[in-house]
Amino acid sequence: MELKICHLYPDILNLYGDRGNVICMEHRLRWRGIDVTTTGVSIGEPLHAADYDLFFIGGGQDFEQEVLLGDLGVGKADEIKAAVVDGKTFLAICGGYQMLGAYYKTWDGVQCDFIGALDLYTIGSKERMIGNYMFTCEELNGQTVVGFENHSGKTYLGSGVRPMGKVLIGHGNNGEDGGEGARYNNVFATYSHGCLLPKNPVLCDHILTTALAQKYGTVQLEPLDDTLEQNAHLYMQNRLQAAK
Amino acid sequence: MKVSVFFSILSCKLARFAIRLLGRGGTDFPGRVALKLCPHLLGTLAKDVTTILVTGTNGKTTTSRMIEQALTDSGISFFANKSGANLLSGVTAEFAMHSSLTGKCRYPYALIEADEAAFKAISRYVDAKVVVVTNVFRDQLDRYGEVTHTLDNIRIGIGNSKNATLCFNADDSLSRSLADEVDNPVLFYGVDVPIYKERVAELSDAPYCIRCKHEYVYDYVTYGHLGGYRCPACGYSRPKTDVSVTEVRSTDTEKSEVVMTADGRNYDTTVNLPGGYNIYNACATMACGKAMGLDLEVVSKSLSSFACGFGRMEKFDIEGRSLRMILIKNPAGCNQVLNFLTNTTEPSLFVVCLNDRAQDGKDVSWIWDVDFERVVEMGDKLSGLIVSGVRADDMAIRFKYAGLPLEKLQVIKDYDQLIKTCIAQDKPVYIMPTYTAMLGLRERISKTYGFKDFWE
Repeated sequence: MELKICHLYPDILNLYGDRGNVICMEHRLRWRGIDVTTTGVSIGEPLHAADYDLFFIGGGQDFEQEVLLGDLGVGKADEIKAAVVDGKTFLAICGGYQMLGAYYKTWDGVQCDFIGALDLYTIGSKERMIGNYMFTCEELNGQTVVGFENHSGKTYLGSGVRPMGKVLIGHGNNGEDGGEGARYNNVFATYSHGCLLPKNPVLCDHILTTALAQKYGTVQLEPLDDTLEQNAHLYMQNRLQAAK
Repeated sequence: MKVSVFFSILSCKLARFAIRLLGRGGTDFPGRVALKLCPHLLGTLAKDVTTILVTGTNGKTTTSRMIEQALTDSGISFFANKSGANLLSGVTAEFAMHSSLTGKCRYPYALIEADEAAFKAISRYVDAKVVVVTNVFRDQLDRYGEVTHTLDNIRIGIGNSKNATLCFNADDSLSRSLADEVDNPVLFYGVDVPIYKERVAELSDAPYCIRCKHEYVYDYVTYGHLGGYRCPACGYSRPKTDVSVTEVRSTDTEKSEVVMTADGRNYDTTVNLPGGYNIYNACATMACGKAMGLDLEVVSKSLSSFACGFGRMEKFDIEGRSLRMILIKNPAGCNQVLNFLTNTTEPSLFVVCLNDRAQDGKDVSWIWDVDFERVVEMGDKLSGLIVSGVRADDMAIRFKYAGLPLEKLQVIKDYDQLIKTCIAQDKPVYIMPTYTAMLGLRERISKTYGFKDFWE
């Protein structure tokens, strides 16, 4: 088996160690004897979405994000939208998550149109939502996910999109409705940095299984020794619970 | 003199005295007490003092220590804020501690390291003669926000510094832009040549033109986003330098040999700390020396004789073994530390001690932006790796995913046990702690083995 990962804008959407998610996915595939190639696609480079199985989009700084909007407009946005409809697997974090939505409106009313692949939008607020946080995912049988959120945008989901999890501690999408992240088709979107996947190996394997199943039908991943990963997960879970 | 000045200086001195009696090194609290009583105290105290302000993301402390040595060797009478008291409160406390109760400073000169976010507040009260900006890099994002935000803060501080000669890093496209729209005299310093034959794999914090957002072209890169950049679209580029490193003769884990050039004269200089970033700090010091009108021959000599300490390649000799401590705090700085540490010629033990308190950055995600894979590539030169600190478990998985053989990896959270394990080694030990981890380790080492506390 082989998985082809497309890392979108790796040189621009590279905040907060999000590339660690790609490192994590690559290793967890190789450790199981599954081939993996990762291709970075950035500004000015054409995207042929059909060439890939899994797309990763990280978060970026506002300054560079502006550079990127022009590039999305000339072809990439349409490719991404089609790939989402086709059931390709996506993992999008923070700025990448917001960008899959319809638009971002700053707190003083300036609207910036995004890809519109998912029925959601983001409104900027003056206060940032920062800190370690934790949510549960139904599709992971209630397993907790721990990470670090740092965003001033409040994201609201439309009717066709469901949250990825329920916030236990922290803010999540908007600090109001208790939802965190977004799920639609095979898109996984979240505010969680941290880096997310290395200390949430169950989530990582779930995303990999989704991508492999889409390509090969039902797939069962071999279990790995996740002692170190679970230590990091449990440390933060216990710390957040103790502070509650 | 206003009565409030007298009482706020007095309370500051008393608070500091009380903290010292408790055996603690706090430098922030006395300043906060003083500011409460007299909010404009710093302006009053700094009025007649010729002040050098040093700010920027990385290298503030080391550059300040280098300038300190140059001032001392030049026979200038000054005081400096030594213990990292670089916020408005800490700087106020330092001025108060070096002043009489009537508010008269005992020194004609002051050398002040200013936190890049606090610089705009400090510069409102201190009319600096020289401002040195080391660089602007991505740093603890939960505290400073994005790099452009840091840059904007520094820009406000520069706007407050109407009478200062400004020393800017020509190789940093971000801080170089601070020279736009100012009437001050500006001295650009930079490194004219590449420093490393091979560098760690690292991301640029500023790939796109700050003026027009087109991608830069580089003639050479020294590290990070520093080097000979130019924008093909709008022409924004590295400016001509006033003080340069024109040749890098050698770099090892102890020091660097370089040639500095200013006003057509060459200065053979030994930089008594390893790493390319310290070559920049040395060059900034030369620029500061030029701005102050010092004899650059003296400044060049100072760079070879100064000792930094406080977690900057600081050496602890304990029971015949030497431990070295090198502070890490953000991807750019940590990558530069790895650039020279991984070139060690003998097998060594590495320790990474990761905390996530406010001063460390609460978000530890940044460790995934550091090229720790480079440590793993050392092979037999890496005898072992210990992770410690509050977030030791996160550090452990970072190394697991960097490909470190797990038999080389140890997790030791207890500092006493960690120090004991380090001393038991027959190999060089390099400890890389984040800020509060460094304070914690130093405290354990000084309590157990009788080293000086950091405020002494």
